[in-house]
Amino acid sequence: MALLMASVVSDQAQRPAPSVPAVRQILRRNSYAAVPLALLIVLFVVNAAVQPQFLAENSWATSMSVLCPTVLTAMAMTLPVLSGNGGIDLSVGPLAGFMTVLISTVLVPAGITTPLLIIPIVVVFGLLSGAINGLLVAYVRLPAIIATLGMYLFYEGLGTEVLPQAGGNVPVWLVKLNGSFGPVPAVWVVFAVIALVWTLVSRGSYPRNLLAVGGDERAAYTAGVNVARLRLITYSIGGLLACLAGLMLTGLIQGGDGTVGPPYTISAITAVALGGISLAGGRGGLIGGALGGGVLFLIQELLTDAHISVYQVSVVDGIILIFALALNGTVEHLRRRSYASRHR
Amino acid sequence: MSSVDEASRLVIEGMSRSFGETRALTSATLRLSPGEIHSLVGENGSGKSTLIKILSGVLQPDSGTLIWEGDVKRLGSPSSAQRMGIATVFQETLIAPEMTVRDNIYLGTDGLFRYGHRKGEEIAGGRQALSDLGLDELDLERPMWTLSLAERQLTTVARAIIRPWRLLVLDEATSALDARQRNRLFDYLRLARSQGKSILFTSHRMDEVLELADRITVLRQGATVATMGASEASRRGILGHMSGREAHAHADVVAGAQTRSRRGGERQQSPPPRPVLRVEELTLRPASKPISMEVGVGQILGLAGLEGQGQVEFVECLCGLRRPSSGHVLAVGDNGQSRSVRSYRGANRLGIRYVPRDRRHEGLFGPLSVFDNFAVTLWGDFNRLGLLRGQQARKRFADFAESSRLVSASPRRPISILSGGNQQKVLLGRWIAMRPRVLVVNDPLRGVDANTKEELYGLFRRLAADGVAIIFLSTEIVELLTLTDQIAVFHEGSLVAMLPTEMSSDTDVVAVMFGDDQHHGAAHG
Repeated sequence: MALLMASVVSDQAQRPAPSVPAVRQILRRNSYAAVPLALLIVLFVVNAAVQPQFLAENSWATSMSVLCPTVLTAMAMTLPVLSGNGGIDLSVGPLAGFMTVLISTVLVPAGITTPLLIIPIVVVFGLLSGAINGLLVAYVRLPAIIATLGMYLFYEGLGTEVLPQAGGNVPVWLVKLNGSFGPVPAVWVVFAVIALVWTLVSRGSYPRNLLAVGGDERAAYTAGVNVARLRLITYSIGGLLACLAGLMLTGLIQGGDGTVGPPYTISAITAVALGGISLAGGRGGLIGGALGGGVLFLIQELLTDAHISVYQVSVVDGIILIFALALNGTVEHLRRRSYASRHR
Repeated sequence: MSSVDEASRLVIEGMSRSFGETRALTSATLRLSPGEIHSLVGENGSGKSTLIKILSGVLQPDSGTLIWEGDVKRLGSPSSAQRMGIATVFQETLIAPEMTVRDNIYLGTDGLFRYGHRKGEEIAGGRQALSDLGLDELDLERPMWTLSLAERQLTTVARAIIRPWRLLVLDEATSALDARQRNRLFDYLRLARSQGKSILFTSHRMDEVLELADRITVLRQGATVATMGASEASRRGILGHMSGREAHAHADVVAGAQTRSRRGGERQQSPPPRPVLRVEELTLRPASKPISMEVGVGQILGLAGLEGQGQVEFVECLCGLRRPSSGHVLAVGDNGQSRSVRSYRGANRLGIRYVPRDRRHEGLFGPLSVFDNFAVTLWGDFNRLGLLRGQQARKRFADFAESSRLVSASPRRPISILSGGNQQKVLLGRWIAMRPRVLVVNDPLRGVDANTKEELYGLFRRLAADGVAIIFLSTEIVELLTLTDQIAVFHEGSLVAMLPTEMSSDTDVVAVMFGDDQHHGAAHG
């Protein structure tokens, strides 16, 4: 090895620096996010144009709070999807919903109100719940859609059993997390913390391993990646993000509600598709899930502004999901065609 | 050589492994020394791939011992094999298509969260490995899906050689490479040998085995039947050990390949056959020369060229998968009327059938049964009011299995349990059963053992005798010389020579493949 490195170093000394600048490399690695980003910008402008109050300072913070659980559950969904082999985590919605119940009817009545206790409890609960999904998928080898459907039903049932309607108590700091610090929506602080942690993780090899396993798990396995452990960790992080979504949701609805969670599963799947992430795995990133969540939220804002009923919104959601999947396929097709035409 | 045991880098004794009722490996024995290139040969289903998967930590043996540098070891996973110093290049080019070349090369060298190398080390090491393999120009940051099959295969070799290996295992790792790339790889392997490293490789190209190996181990039906020095081995002897049958049959194969005595005599007497496919002024790339040619009933036209010289594009144009830069492909009907090929479906309707190259991705339905894989293209013909008429399809399958000597436990078993050669037979049979007018095959014998190959040659010849025109793209010149009537050689996107097989030697073909100008006069004949 030392010999190899020696020859390598001398060789490197004679070569010019890599021709592709780092910025272009980053753009290329995140090219999947171009379409959702464009959609996000367009929808933002449209929203601002048709709803004059959209950009007002007070409604801005509210919007961000409403957006937050959608984005976080979408991110929670993103990682299992990226890990491939039919990866998906249906339990993200009910898990987030169960968090509202756990915090407002168990932790707070027991006198646990300080963030120094609640946040670690939420984090550990999320990691453990995700780890159960991961164990079922990676080691017991159940299809993810079945294993996580089981967890979906489990949390949905448990949540509605304990608290079938809105109720419970929440600590003040959680409500404040959905307000604003001066002009800055407090939710941004939460996003910033997650972005910081994720940036640190992304500097390591986890994304590479994740995309490799999602891209071709046999390639990853034979190359020496511990595929099962990677999936276990991936589902755990997904569970963690879902529970953070639940934490924010608790503050948003200022209480607990066993029925509030499940719809977030579908919105998360739609957001992942809107975020340019291949549902087959191996292409995309966490930012795509976040962007997709944002896009979905802005579409729903427009629908709300047009006074469309809840049931009609559901119809539209279905259409959006199918549209997003078709869009993914089309973008992929165009990408390959344009590459082929540029290199012939 | 009395101290073989101490000098051995790897000793394998009595290795066995079963999959359900199939005993893939019964008693494999293998000894590898430092500074040795060792070839593992055997027919399809002889257990080579199983043994290699055990060596690379992918599979666990049922019994047997593995001694690595003097210690008995168990290889629990691919990463534990790699940590010991065994790096493997697998038969199938296993890549993560959305990731870059560099990511693919360094895949698996990291922890789950921590990189194993700094970025600078990866760039330097990746470049070094690629340049060792002759890919100096390849951008490390290119996404993998944009690479050609040969470049992908070489990238998987690079993935192995950047690891600190003392034993490199190559399982059919040259199957997609052209002559130049292969020679470059062999040079690298010889250099590594001179540094005391060990190499174990499998190849279905006997000339490669004889050219490269110091010693040869022959597997048959899961057991080691012979190990010999390459200098004392002959093609005939090796083939005999592999098949366990009389060696003469194989000698004839080889002799046939060299003398090309196939059907030359009869062809010279008969008038030129009626054309079934006509190519008019077709250009593959904007700058390339237009191609015009005709292929007649019962003709076998070979296509040759180094990797990426246009022969694959040409094949894709013929079967409607690609639009040519300009020009036409015309199918000529029995009544002499010609109709232009504009799409893949159109080509199919006109009786042009295409057998793709990469069988795992382009052709097979892994979980479906052998029979379903065979019959999938037939249902268009064999149904009445939408109800499938299985009886007829089953009869065709029985005919085909008989004539191709398809070895299969049961046509109801999933096709994924068949060996590569048998999978390829089924894939071929699927198209043959459709009774095509023109059969376009893209390197159909890639990774197929010598005996299966001979059976498939027979299959192609019978088809041609029945009047099917066959366009046969191959990376193996000897194959083209054995089977075809004419060989079209491509270079830099143009057809540069049309060589009559009877009057050509492999040196002629290679010379044209490398763009030797003397042969250009023969083009467009």
